[in-house]
Amino acid sequence: MSDQPTFAAALLDPDAPCPAGLTAWNGSDPVRRFAVYRNNVVSSLIDALADTFPVVHELVGEAFFRVMAGVFVRQAPPQSVQLVHYGAGFPAFIEQFDPASSVPYLADVARLEFLRIRAFHAADADPVSPEQIAQALADPERLPALRVTCHPSLGVLDSRYAVASLWAAHQGVGDVAQVNPFLPESALIVRTGLEVHVVALPPGSDRLVTGFVDGLPLGEAAALALAAHPEFDLTIHLALLLRYGALSSFHLPTELSP
Amino acid sequence: MSKTLTSTTLSAAALALALGSALTLSTAPAVGAEMEKCFGVALKGKNDCAAGPGTTCAGTSKVDYQGSAWKNVPKGSCEKTASPTSPTGHGQLAAFTEKKS
Repeated sequence: MSDQPTFAAALLDPDAPCPAGLTAWNGSDPVRRFAVYRNNVVSSLIDALADTFPVVHELVGEAFFRVMAGVFVRQAPPQSVQLVHYGAGFPAFIEQFDPASSVPYLADVARLEFLRIRAFHAADADPVSPEQIAQALADPERLPALRVTCHPSLGVLDSRYAVASLWAAHQGVGDVAQVNPFLPESALIVRTGLEVHVVALPPGSDRLVTGFVDGLPLGEAAALALAAHPEFDLTIHLALLLRYGALSSFHLPTELSP
Repeated sequence: MSKTLTSTTLSAAALALALGSALTLSTAPAVGAEMEKCFGVALKGKNDCAAGPGTTCAGTSKVDYQGSAWKNVPKGSCEKTASPTSPTGHGQLAAFTEKKS
């Protein structure tokens, strides 16, 4: 019987010979049985990627997707038995995959789809309560120092392409033909209850959210967004984040005294 | 707020105004209204929760009104939705054993 690494390598390499020493329980040809198994391993992983990246699949079609995903599967087989998170490297792979270069937004659509999977399985957190907001407003002098924690499911994707609109058009919202893919867009991905939302963000929101995620206080995060986008409107952005339950807590550093 | 546009800092008052207005704006439309999991009301393949491969819940129910498949419905409406397979005749908030038809 061949050793495990040889067996595993032969599963992913269609040109590798059938590992030596295999026997079939019913006396059938091990070479043929192994070929069937090899095919099943790769095609089940391609199926898993098709489940995770349905819009990428639709954008390029079944035949192209299976070839592209097959190359990825052989290059980067799963490292965990949980297929839910398989494909983290697929967007970067697509970006480098020459035959896909005619669809320049494909990699970012894949990034968005993977953020949705991440959001589905992220931990729960209650949104910040109106009472907490009122409490913060009661002490306006300390608002610039307010720390904002985002919902664990929250993800932001800043793209040179209209990722959120492209994705939405493939969910039966709007018409793909009406979407200009070459308009830059940022997308917010967040789960409210059991539903994952994908929201196109006005410019500057990605900076604000990235600031929160990096642990910057409200004042600094807002200033960063304003510096990057002079038309940045903090009210609209905070309203949007609150509406989707994207902010899960407010707190002030305790030792700070004026 | 427009006076803050010339610099890249925002005053405490501007932040308070923005947060206060945001609170008012955000509470108007009830996006993400309360939902509940309702068992036994989904038609086959129409159950909710597309959560990626390895989770077998995404549109996978094989029969109509499957007692172990659920759908997200507005809170309070589940037990008013008819389910021919349910012993109570309506959807339930937990999985149930389908009655024989």
